[in-house]
Amino acid sequence: MQLLIQQILDGLAAGAIYGALALALVLIYRATRIVNFGQGEMATFCAYTAWQLVQWGWPLWLALVATAVLAFVLGVVVFRVVVRPVSGAAVETIVVVMLGLFLLFQALCLWLWGSDQQAFPNVFGSAAWSAHGVQLSAATLGTLATISAVALALGALLRFSRLGLALRAAASDRDKSLLVGIRVETMLMLGWGLAAMVGFIAAALVAPRLFLSPLMMAPVLVYALAAATLGGWDSAIGAVVGGLLIGVVESVGATFLTFIGAELRLLIPLSVTLLVLLVRPAGLLGRQVVVRV
Amino acid sequence: MSLNNASTRLSLLALALMAVLPFVLPKFLVLQLGVALSFAIAILGLNLLLGFAGQVCLAQGAFFACGAYTTAILVTRLGVDPLLTLPLAAAVTACMGIAIGLPALRLGGLQLAIVTFGLAVITPQLILKFDGLTHGVTGISFEPPRPPGWLPVGADTWLYLIGLIAMAVCVLVMRRLLAGDTGRALRALRDDPLIARSLGVNLTRVRLSAFAVSSAFAGLGGGVYALLNAYVSPQSFLAGRSIEILIGAIVGGITSIAGAFLGALFVVFVPEWTADFSPALGGIIYGACLIAMMVTARDGLAGLCLRALSALKSWRSRTRSRRPPLTSGPAPSNLTQETKS
Repeated sequence: MQLLIQQILDGLAAGAIYGALALALVLIYRATRIVNFGQGEMATFCAYTAWQLVQWGWPLWLALVATAVLAFVLGVVVFRVVVRPVSGAAVETIVVVMLGLFLLFQALCLWLWGSDQQAFPNVFGSAAWSAHGVQLSAATLGTLATISAVALALGALLRFSRLGLALRAAASDRDKSLLVGIRVETMLMLGWGLAAMVGFIAAALVAPRLFLSPLMMAPVLVYALAAATLGGWDSAIGAVVGGLLIGVVESVGATFLTFIGAELRLLIPLSVTLLVLLVRPAGLLGRQVVVRV
Repeated sequence: MSLNNASTRLSLLALALMAVLPFVLPKFLVLQLGVALSFAIAILGLNLLLGFAGQVCLAQGAFFACGAYTTAILVTRLGVDPLLTLPLAAAVTACMGIAIGLPALRLGGLQLAIVTFGLAVITPQLILKFDGLTHGVTGISFEPPRPPGWLPVGADTWLYLIGLIAMAVCVLVMRRLLAGDTGRALRALRDDPLIARSLGVNLTRVRLSAFAVSSAFAGLGGGVYALLNAYVSPQSFLAGRSIEILIGAIVGGITSIAGAFLGALFVVFVPEWTADFSPALGGIIYGACLIAMMVTARDGLAGLCLRALSALKSWRSRTRSRRPPLTSGPAPSNLTQETKS
C-alpha cells in the first residue's frame, strides 16, 4: 500500500512535467493547428541557456526570468522564420519541418554544450518529508504547484480576458477574425511565444531530475504527445490532467506489471494514445468535432 | 511497359549506369552506395504510403529494423541462404505492416503520425526486450553472401548488385502498382477519401494493401542493409532511422520514384559531408537544410530537377523560335491560319 502511494506521488511529479510540455504542445496546436515535434528540443535549448547564465555567475532567479523572456522571443522568431512560410502546406510537409526543428535544436545544444550531462540547480531546494514510509520532496510539491499555477493562469487568460478571446478567435477562424479587426499574425506569434515559455518551464522543472543533456526531452515528448491526446488537443486543462494521469499510470504500471520492466516503459503512453484515439479521439476534455460531410 | 516509352528507356539507362558504377568507384564508396540503395527501397515504400496513399507513417524505420532482424535471425538460427531471406523478410514485414495498418484505418493524418512516431521511438526498446531472439545490445553478426563462382566480381560489388537487383524489382512493382486502377484508387484515397468511397473504392482494402506493400519494401530494404553490413544491432534502428527515411522521402520528392534515389543519396552523404566541417555542426546544417528545403521546394529534389528541365526546355524553344527559319517554307503564321479555318 505504501508502495502504491509512493508510486502515485512519483507518478504525479513526473506527470506534471509531461503535462507542462503537453500544455505547450496544445497551445501551439490551438493557435496554428500544428503539432510541434521540436517543442521539447527548443525547451532544452532554453534550459541550457539558463544553466549557462548560472555558470557565468547570475543568480538563479534572474537567470530563469531572463531565459523565460528569451524563450518567448525564440518562439516568436521560430514562428516568423519557419512556420509562417509553410503554414498552408500539406500535413507531411509541416511534420517534416517540425522534425527539422527537432534535429536543429538538438544539434545546436550538442554543438554549443557537448553531450555530457550537466547538473541543473534545483529551484525548490532539496528538502524532503516522509510520513508513514512515504517520501515527498520539495521538488515534487514545487513542480506540482508551479504547473497548476501556470495551467490555471493560462486557462484564465484564455477564458476571461480580451487578449485570450482574441487568441482563441485567431486560432479558430483566421479570416473572420481579420474582418473583426483582430491582428491574427500577432496573436499567432503570441501563442507560439507563450508555448515556448511553458516548454521552458517544463524543461527547467525536469532538468534537476533527469540531468541536463541534449537528449533530455526526447522521451518526454512521447509522454507529452500521449498526454495531449488523452486530455484533448483543444483543451489546456486537459493537457495537464492528461499528463498527470499518464504519469500515474506509467509509474504504477511499470512497478506492478513486471513484463514491462524498464525497457518498455514507453509502451504505456503508446498504448494509452492508441486506446484513446480508437475509443474517444477527442480526448477526455476535448470537444467532439462534428464534420459536415 | 514498352521499350518505346521514354521514361522506360531512361530507367533502363539509369539501371545500366548504376550496374557499371561499382567497377569504376572505390570500394568504400560502393558499399555506401549499397547502403543508399537499401534506404532508397525503404523510401520508395514510404513514397507509396505517404505520397500516393496519403498516410503519414513515421514508423518506416521500425519496418526496416523488422526486415533487417528477420534476415539476421534466419541466417544465423535457421541457416537459410542469405539471398532467400530477402523475400522472407519482405513477407514478415508485410504482416507487421498489416498489423499496424488495421488500427491505422481509424486514425487520421496527425493522429497516425503521433502513433507511428511512438512506434519508431519504442523499436530499439522492443529489440532489447526480446534479447533471447535478437541478442540485445550485442547484436547479430553473420557471414555476408559470397559472389557465385561464375561471376568474377568482388564481395562488395556482389552485395551492391544484390541491392541493385532488389531496387530494380521494387521499382518495377511500384510502376505496375501506380499504373491503372490501383494507382487511381490510391490517388483517390489520398486526395479525397470520401469521394473515393462514394465511387466504389474499397478504402479498407486499398489502405491495408498500401501498408502491406510499403512495409514489404521497407523490410526488403532492411534485409539488404543487414546483408551489406553483415551485422545488426539496436543502435542502427533508433527513432532517428524512421526520421531519416521520412526526410529522404520528402527531400527526394514524395511522389517521385527517382526522388527515392535522390533522397537516399541526400540522407547517406549529406550528414557525412557536413560532419567534415565539424562533428556537431553537421547536425545543425542537416536540420537547417531540411527546413530550408521544405520552405522553398515542396516537391523535393526531383521536383526541382523537373522544374529546371522544363525551364530549360522552354528557354530552348524560345531561343529557337527567335531564330530565322532555316527553310524557305511557309511562315509559321500560315499554319495558325490553317488551323483556325
